[in-house]
Amino acid sequence: MFYKIRLGCFLFLLIGSRLCSQFNADGIKTFTLSNGMKFLVVPDNSIPNANMYLYFKVGSRNEYTGITGLSHFFEHMMFNGAKKYGPKQLDKTEEFNGGANNAYTTENVTVYTDWFPASKLELLFDIESDRIASLAFDSVMIESEREVVHSEWRTDLENSPWEPLSQAVVGVAFNQHPYHWPVIGYEDDIKNWKRSDLQKYFKTYYAPNNCIAVITGNITFDEVKNLADKYMAPIPGQTPPPPVHIVEPPQTGERTVMVRQDVATPYLLISYHVPATKDSDYYALDVLNAVLSTGNSSRLYAAIVDNKQLATNIFTDLPLSFDPFEFNVYAECADNVKATDVEAGIYEEIDKIKTSGITETELQKVKNQKLMDFYSQVETINGKSGAVGDYEVFYGDYKKLFEAPENYNKVTVDDIKRVANKYFKKSNRTVGVLQSNVED
Amino acid sequence: MRKYQCLIIAVAAFAFVSFSVKAQNAAKYQLPKYAKFQLANGLTVYLMEKHTVPVISVSAIIPAGAVDDGSNAGLASLTAECLTCGTKDYTKKQIEEAFDFAGADYNTYGSKEFSGLSARLAVKDEDKLLPIIKEMLVDAAFNDSDFIKEKRRTLANLDQAKESPGQVITLYWDKFFYGNHAYGNVESGTVSSVTPITSVDLKIFYKTYYNPQGSAIALVGDFNTADMKKKMETLFGDWTKTNMPSTLTSNPTYNINIARVLLVNKDDAKETTLLIGTKGVARNNPDYIPLQVVNTIFGGRFTSWLNEELRVKSGLTYGASSYFDYKKNGGAFLISTHTANQTTAPTLEKTMEVVNRLQTLPIDDTTLMSAKNYMIGLFPPRFQSSNQLAGLLTGMFWYGYDESYINNFEANVNAVTVAKAEDIIHKYFPKDNLQFVLIGKSSDIKNIAAKYGAVTEVQIKDDIGKGF
Repeated sequence: MFYKIRLGCFLFLLIGSRLCSQFNADGIKTFTLSNGMKFLVVPDNSIPNANMYLYFKVGSRNEYTGITGLSHFFEHMMFNGAKKYGPKQLDKTEEFNGGANNAYTTENVTVYTDWFPASKLELLFDIESDRIASLAFDSVMIESEREVVHSEWRTDLENSPWEPLSQAVVGVAFNQHPYHWPVIGYEDDIKNWKRSDLQKYFKTYYAPNNCIAVITGNITFDEVKNLADKYMAPIPGQTPPPPVHIVEPPQTGERTVMVRQDVATPYLLISYHVPATKDSDYYALDVLNAVLSTGNSSRLYAAIVDNKQLATNIFTDLPLSFDPFEFNVYAECADNVKATDVEAGIYEEIDKIKTSGITETELQKVKNQKLMDFYSQVETINGKSGAVGDYEVFYGDYKKLFEAPENYNKVTVDDIKRVANKYFKKSNRTVGVLQSNVED
Repeated sequence: MRKYQCLIIAVAAFAFVSFSVKAQNAAKYQLPKYAKFQLANGLTVYLMEKHTVPVISVSAIIPAGAVDDGSNAGLASLTAECLTCGTKDYTKKQIEEAFDFAGADYNTYGSKEFSGLSARLAVKDEDKLLPIIKEMLVDAAFNDSDFIKEKRRTLANLDQAKESPGQVITLYWDKFFYGNHAYGNVESGTVSSVTPITSVDLKIFYKTYYNPQGSAIALVGDFNTADMKKKMETLFGDWTKTNMPSTLTSNPTYNINIARVLLVNKDDAKETTLLIGTKGVARNNPDYIPLQVVNTIFGGRFTSWLNEELRVKSGLTYGASSYFDYKKNGGAFLISTHTANQTTAPTLEKTMEVVNRLQTLPIDDTTLMSAKNYMIGLFPPRFQSSNQLAGLLTGMFWYGYDESYINNFEANVNAVTVAKAEDIIHKYFPKDNLQFVLIGKSSDIKNIAAKYGAVTEVQIKDDIGKGF
């Protein structure tokens, strides 16, 4: 599922580097308004620009059957008019002032991203506070936007076989937890959302106490604090949203799912249940993720794509999540290769790790890769906001970004072997295949 | 699941409430200093110091593109892919292990007009990895066993790519639009053109086109220019200069005397993927910036006329945009969108309405100012990372512009007047005889397509170029 954000930022070996003086935990100042809205401020004067990333803790895991996809639809509706900036005015005003915006929705969060000349910071506070305080729910805009989302649903399916396959796999891997349905929702729910559903969602989830704001760029802490007091503080907090109480029961046997689509060669997705991002096993799993598929020297690429030529493409991911989610292995079969052969080849590689672990060289390789990832993120103001926001929201504290070196350095070869054995079990996996012929 | 996802983002007019309407001037951005020099063998080198993080970004550009493929479509692309398959002193495995262990990225690619290599590595690894980069560009081995594997993957990818109409539609467009001119060559190749290619073909192509003369390499990062200059001289000084082949010199001819439609039938399509366009301009066109300003208004951002009509007002699509595809000796202007099978007709009608509106309705001051502010305001973040800057430098080399593009950007954007915008519209933007490529379910959309021009129908499973 490519629309999910992927974590690419870790801080390694920063001690001794010149970065320390420019970007460390002390360089980030925070404050929380009395209504519960938290701000993280990251001054960076390398360009005359700034950004504002607003993380709302709401995603498809907060939905239920009948309103699936509503979080994502809501993301669209946040651009369709509020009290001061009416329909279309938000985008027009931002663009007139040299800015742009976007947003994304995952199973866990909805994130709004603004990019603008730093001199326009107050305008952005005015715009954002307007829609958080008093979003309009214009009936004409709702119907028009419903069609836009329907088109997005259609074009995702039209352009990537991974989309229908991923949807099928989560549908089988999760029986009870709301990770069961796709972020974009079911087509019949897309056609069915009501204005009242949106209004209820707004009151519940778009309260300032459910939002974390990250602002990076050529701005100062005092500026941000003063503007937050002026524009955001008057918005009343709300009763915190109800927790997602459903816990997916442990899987007790392998599950499989087959999807028919006219494709050249089969697509294979193997998905293992793993704990949430905050779990202590996360770092070891993330190292395993890189060992398996980062670079052509990785275990799976070298064995499956290069040596055995069973697949043309292979990759893995470990998405950030609030609740226990999935570790995914994706492969596109080579010409005239069956999905079962690729699957067997993947298990063979995983079993090697379960039996013999990984080498110290591989472990060091991953640590080096994480450091380079980190450099990429902190080189731009947008990379910084994304990293700081992800750590604050998914790890529970932005400071964990700076503790990552220690946390990754704690990972041992034995830890990798242990988590591989703990999670990569037959009974804990769901195997999905998408191919043309499903009758044989 | 994003609000907006499109090739290009782009404008609009409006009134707003409490903030003054004036041009932006806060975002003045100047390109950092850099050194440019040429080695005796003709290789052009760009060095730019950037000390934000301890990394170096590399971008190399070689005058070897699909335009040079001749009858072997895909040759330049496959050659570039195989640069990583082993060199004189390093096996494929050694290259992969060296880069991966260092956490470094590298990528080689063939495009329409040129091939390239990009890489990003930690400063502490430069003495280990720069020599490998040098060998990929100068002493690639193209041994048979690795080539055969790469070719097999390439052939499978050619079929897999068609499972994403949005990914392949530009290949159809180029072939349909440029015809037999070299710009019509299919960069990726086709199954029938790639199948006969051998490692010997790659070696010959490499020897012919990978020449220091006509190539450039840019390094941006945490180094000292004088030291790095010496290193580059040592590394690349022995790259032997050979006779440069005659590269693409002809300008494309544009078959736009009549409206034409290429209909690519995909039986299981639920939506129609569209490209609509006409003749564009080369990158060195003196009106480059005014063209971008007008395109921002027309289809280059979220509040553009196209996206406003097709998405915001009517919900016909998730996104509609337009852009100029600039090449060295010509180019195209393109409108890109997609819609459900059953809304293909209104989508085409609306698109044509917006095309006509640009020619008939005047651009007002507020709209123009908005587009200018937008371009200027969002300019600096485009050149913040060392990767972005290295790409900019080799782009300057290839298309023949310099830092004045960056340093005068704001002034040149602001200089565009309403009168100039009107001139640009009448001179460059389409009026009639548009060309259409539609990928979709023929039985649902064939009659609609026929209203827009002479239809040529082909099947998506056939090689690109077959039947048109």
